[in-house]
Amino acid sequence: MPDAFRMLSEQDVETIDRAARRLLEEVGIRVRDEGFRDRLEKAGAETDAAAQIVRFPAGWLDQTLSQAPSAFTLHARDGADDVSLGSGRVAFGNGGRVFRILDRDGTYRGTTLADVARTAALVDRLERLRFYIVACHPENVPAEDEVLNGFHQALLFTSKHVMGGCDSLASLEKIRALAVLLAGSEEAFRKAPFLSIITNPISPLTLDPETLKMLQYCGTHGIPATCAPAPIAGATAPATLGGTLSQLHAEALAGVAVTQALVPGAKVLYGAVATAMDLRKMDFTLGSVEGAMMNAAAVQLARRYGLPIYASAGLTEAKEANFQAGFEKAVSSLMVGMAGADFIHLAAGMLDSGNTISLEQYVIDDECLGMVHRVLDGIGTDDDALGVDVVKQVGPGGNFVMEDHTIDHMMEEFFYPDLMVRSNFDVWDQGGRPTTLSRARDKLDDILPGTPAAKIEPAQRDEIRKRFPRLLDVTW
Amino acid sequence: MTDFEALQEAVGKGDVATAKTETEKGLSGGAGAQSILDDGLIAAMKVVGDRFSAGKIFVPQMLRSAKTMQACVDLLRPHFDAEAAASRGTMIIGSVKGDLHDIGKNLVSMMMGGAGFEIVDLGVDVPPERYVQKARETEADLLGMSALLATTMTSMKDTISALHKAGLRKKLKVMVGGAPVTERYAREIKADAYAPDAGSAVSEAKKLLGIE
Repeated sequence: MPDAFRMLSEQDVETIDRAARRLLEEVGIRVRDEGFRDRLEKAGAETDAAAQIVRFPAGWLDQTLSQAPSAFTLHARDGADDVSLGSGRVAFGNGGRVFRILDRDGTYRGTTLADVARTAALVDRLERLRFYIVACHPENVPAEDEVLNGFHQALLFTSKHVMGGCDSLASLEKIRALAVLLAGSEEAFRKAPFLSIITNPISPLTLDPETLKMLQYCGTHGIPATCAPAPIAGATAPATLGGTLSQLHAEALAGVAVTQALVPGAKVLYGAVATAMDLRKMDFTLGSVEGAMMNAAAVQLARRYGLPIYASAGLTEAKEANFQAGFEKAVSSLMVGMAGADFIHLAAGMLDSGNTISLEQYVIDDECLGMVHRVLDGIGTDDDALGVDVVKQVGPGGNFVMEDHTIDHMMEEFFYPDLMVRSNFDVWDQGGRPTTLSRARDKLDDILPGTPAAKIEPAQRDEIRKRFPRLLDVTW
Repeated sequence: MTDFEALQEAVGKGDVATAKTETEKGLSGGAGAQSILDDGLIAAMKVVGDRFSAGKIFVPQMLRSAKTMQACVDLLRPHFDAEAAASRGTMIIGSVKGDLHDIGKNLVSMMMGGAGFEIVDLGVDVPPERYVQKARETEADLLGMSALLATTMTSMKDTISALHKAGLRKKLKVMVGGAPVTERYAREIKADAYAPDAGSAVSEAKKLLGIE
């Protein structure tokens, strides 16, 4: 196995950690709610009612963080696709908050609830995407019903672990009710939670009361969650990468610490979605090289506290599947993957600074992640891999093509792309000059030819419809 | 003819201290406030604007120059007969109900302020009623709404309806923006303008008000 890629030296990890701890101790986090401030003060925080600030004295910070579990499982309903956080394995998946989709004919349109269903079904069928995040905003659904409808379509069409953003405690309660119905009982769902929740602080250094209510609810009911900072270097965080990392680290630790203070032992992921502003024209960039660097560094910062990380990678500013998309995605997926992050989201399907998706892009990214995983699997050096015996056997001037050693190793040793073009030029030319994109389309038609079967039994679907009459059905 | 070269240079560099000193010098030397404003400050910002358009300087530098100019305008203000001479127009701005994100709104405010507009910032989580109330209270020319979350975007439509109901819709121009907001959505809700970023917000605002 290769050594983890280290964006930061061990010394730099400590330096950034110290800066973050100073921020938490001296500046603190704004919490505009007296009730939560009082509870945190009773638990050991320092508070300032006039400034509406919660500060984290070093001892208390360490004590709360030590209660956070270093390892837990994001369950899949099929039992086969569980994601084990803290196990050393890297799991990639897609991301959410998208509002635009690039269709096959090249047109861009607003995303709908049907696109949630389609992307869930697609991710369910793509091997390297280990979880599904509710992929897009459905423009045809009333705002107050959006979250429940999104999770419902996700659970209908994928049995992989589902994660999604949530706007309010009211929506969260409905989601849990749906999950408990599916699981059969509260206990069954708590034991093996198959969905989790994404919340965010507001950079710089602000935790909104509704977010705290949701984190508390999740902790209380055994629902894994993250409170993931998304600071923008140059806008909502310092214009230096070290500065943004210090602030991100403070915000991420605050999210974990506050959740532990409210519900000791709550399953929380340290969150990191580092981004940058293009300061020339003030364009927000989710997919800059600096973002990739910071997201790789964040993995080390989370590891310093033994916390599983909700990391970010695979981002691009490109509007379509082109060279820019390929390069930008590769740079970040490789760096964050090689850093060893447990859970890497945003890594499939996305274009255009996280605003747009295309179905083909999920298929292409799944393949690219296969290449990344090959790098993570490393170079074997056991006796069999070193092959001294087979070289002796073949001898000088021989060849290895038909050796048992070759046949035994060929499938595991190499990543074989389905989409990327590899062939003799004439073969390619005569084959109609396929491209990665054209092959992705073919694969898409192959794996998702029509309406897939739902992953919820008809009887349960009826129960769900009765219990949640505001749920919408989707036409494929 | 008064030479405002030193003042213009200070504004160009974003040197607030020197710019203020030069402004004071100009006033005590007998130059009229209007002259300092037009030939010193606005002329300097025109150069800054041209350099920005030519890609020679960027938004942070431009904002710094704008801030410098504003500091000087504050010094000149008491010398003006009418408030209107110092402002290109007034804009009410806020992030809509349910949305606590404000960096986009703040960027637009800074750019609009830098372009000489007066900003009335309602902050975040602004429900339709508060926009309407402020529109009623002030002589605002523009009303700007920002949203980061697609779920809060619908409040933009509600605010426009509320303005209609209050008989205020025709009194001002409505501009919308934010990550999930699109040109199409702006047309759907019958906003007057949409801007994809803070820089274009300024040019759209000027277009709407028919000013340079």
